[in-house]
Amino acid sequence: MVGIGIDLGTTSSCVAVWKKGTVEVITNEQGNRTTPSFVAFTPRERLIGEAAKNQATSNATNTIFGAKRLIGRRYDDVAVQMDLRHWPFEVINDKGKPKIIVCYKNQRKAFAPEEISAMILFRMKEVAELYLKRKVNDVVITVPAYFNDSQRQATRTAGVIAGFNVLRIVNEPTAAALAYGFDRNIKSEKNVLIYDLGGGTLDVSILTISRGPVYEVKSTAGNTRLGGEDFDNRLAAYFAEDFKKRYGEEIISNAKAFRRLKVAAERVKRFLTSAAEATLQIESLYNDLDYTGKVTRSLFEELCSDLFLDTIKYVEQALKEARMKKRDINDIILVGGSTRIPKIRRLVQEYFDGRAIRSTVNPEEAVACGAAIQAAILCGERHKKIQDLLLVDVVPLSLGVETARGMMYKIIDRNTPIPCRQTKDLTTLEDYQRSMTIEVFEGERALTRDNNLLGVFELDNIPPAPRGIAIVDITFDIDANGILSVYAQDRSTGNRNGLVVTNEHRLNQQEINKMVEEAEAFKEEDTENKRRLEVRNQLEGYVYSVKQTVTENIEMLSVKEISTLTKECKEAIEWLELNPDCLREEYERKMSELLTHWSLIMRRFNCNRHTAKRQRSENTEVNDAAIEEVENNE
Amino acid sequence: MLINKVYVCLIYLISSILLTLAGRDFYQILGVSRSASTNEIKKAYRKLAKALHPDKNQDDPDASQKFQDLGAAYEALSDPEKRELYDRCGEECLKKDGMMNNNDPFASFFGDFGFHFGGE
Repeated sequence: MVGIGIDLGTTSSCVAVWKKGTVEVITNEQGNRTTPSFVAFTPRERLIGEAAKNQATSNATNTIFGAKRLIGRRYDDVAVQMDLRHWPFEVINDKGKPKIIVCYKNQRKAFAPEEISAMILFRMKEVAELYLKRKVNDVVITVPAYFNDSQRQATRTAGVIAGFNVLRIVNEPTAAALAYGFDRNIKSEKNVLIYDLGGGTLDVSILTISRGPVYEVKSTAGNTRLGGEDFDNRLAAYFAEDFKKRYGEEIISNAKAFRRLKVAAERVKRFLTSAAEATLQIESLYNDLDYTGKVTRSLFEELCSDLFLDTIKYVEQALKEARMKKRDINDIILVGGSTRIPKIRRLVQEYFDGRAIRSTVNPEEAVACGAAIQAAILCGERHKKIQDLLLVDVVPLSLGVETARGMMYKIIDRNTPIPCRQTKDLTTLEDYQRSMTIEVFEGERALTRDNNLLGVFELDNIPPAPRGIAIVDITFDIDANGILSVYAQDRSTGNRNGLVVTNEHRLNQQEINKMVEEAEAFKEEDTENKRRLEVRNQLEGYVYSVKQTVTENIEMLSVKEISTLTKECKEAIEWLELNPDCLREEYERKMSELLTHWSLIMRRFNCNRHTAKRQRSENTEVNDAAIEEVENNE
Repeated sequence: MLINKVYVCLIYLISSILLTLAGRDFYQILGVSRSASTNEIKKAYRKLAKALHPDKNQDDPDASQKFQDLGAAYEALSDPEKRELYDRCGEECLKKDGMMNNNDPFASFFGDFGFHFGGE
């Protein structure tokens, strides 16, 4: 059994696998170790990864990115509304859930964020299968530690839609810690702080690693919408403002122009990692106006300074919750592409009083590697390096129920190790109350209306009694996979009811099944498309090879033959150009037509080449025999 | 004879109820003495965690519960305040511990006796 680990990122994704005692990051067909989390729809086909990102500017409204920022959220979420302003593609409100609208094969289609993520996961699956040369079913997918329950469940659903058996959803910083500790011989207890700033999310986790190794997560803090993309947006907004100042034209509202500006801004940002100054040049950005903008590193730092400083708050919070001081931290590990920004490194370093920062793990790959290690463990791998490895993660957000006056009553506090179970008492609010509505919430706020509702159920037949007499035990149970079950039991009658919190309040099983079917259909379309293009390429190759053979063997042909063949080749090439995307069958028909048509003459050449070869090897004069052979064939 | 049997049953029933009410013996779960230091508790927890975690016992359906008991024991005993509460009156005290931290200013005003009211 092989299990892979996938780091499903906001801007890019990475896949790794356990292989004979080490972890390997799998490169995609383009030779890159990470794949852009982009999906694009064209009138002809669906593109995922590099191919999708490369055509993003020319097809801005149908190129989807940042699905991770939408997954598991409601449409009216303030954060979602903020993002919509930056995105060139359309997002609609479908019964409270966001759906992405694209034009695919000239038809309007709506996709749930889960489906888009599933397409990226599916792409990573293909990359892994191609490398391992076998089917891959089991996967560990990572999510930001600060993802809430619906975001996790939605990510799990995405995995299912992509055709995976999702072994576990693992927190990104925890996975990075596994990668960090993997090649180290941990002898004494070590406290490690992981600062994970990616394309769209920030996580700070503190872990204690002790002999075994046992990885215990002590605390986790973060923001699920703070990352590299926000820095790009700041830069792009700056350039747009500059453009307006210079030419008096507003370009933010123009999807294509702004997309181009954003792509260029990202490049500028990357460039500023090593350079002190960067120039951005875009030809005919808007209304045939060329734009050249210059930005220094310090200006970039200035533009994003509040965002950068914000990240330190989460470091403080994580320390506070782990009940640790700065000096208790033995190692600081930076992961995520955005930690390459020099200012970020400096800020973290300054916060820890100038201590050195570990740069032994690759910031872009550590998370996927950790996920692959966890996948190997869950698949029962018994290698000596990991047989004793144990990872104990924590609950990222407090869980509780609503009590009188809309108050949140916490049953399980955040940062409690998983799996865990807690029982607390509840009682009736009114005299002779016969039933109780149990509303399960997740979040840190005092009032439940500010928290995230996970599920509701009723407990009936409570024996009538004055308020405050009947006692109901509420049990919250979280298993190793992070699935929460809630039970309420009336202490006097033993009567009980409960629920398992699943993704059902977001997508029901029927919807998921439909999405799985659609993904299958897409898969078939993709393979069909690939086959179609292969056949087309074969056909094209064949025509050109005939053309080539004719020119090479011109002395063997009569003038008439030459002119017919050249004409036929030309016609075939023209036909190909006129029909860039007809059905595979048509290409195949054309291919067989040409094959039969040209077979005789081609065979003659082939034999000739054959004899020529033999001639060379034998080095004797068999010219006459060769001609005879050719004539026989005819 | 019959009455005797009934008595035995009754005693058994009462004692089992008492046991569940009194909660789990966290010291026994961790396999440490009541005077164990925090460090000893931590060590015991890690050793048992490796043995009991459901990831290491994927065939055992009770593994999750065993680990949950261990986690609860560790949580209670590794925190000096919670340990003191537990030592005084057992797990039942910890169950109500949440109430005191609950910052509902009206709780005492309305005369809640440490219980929380479910919605109607």
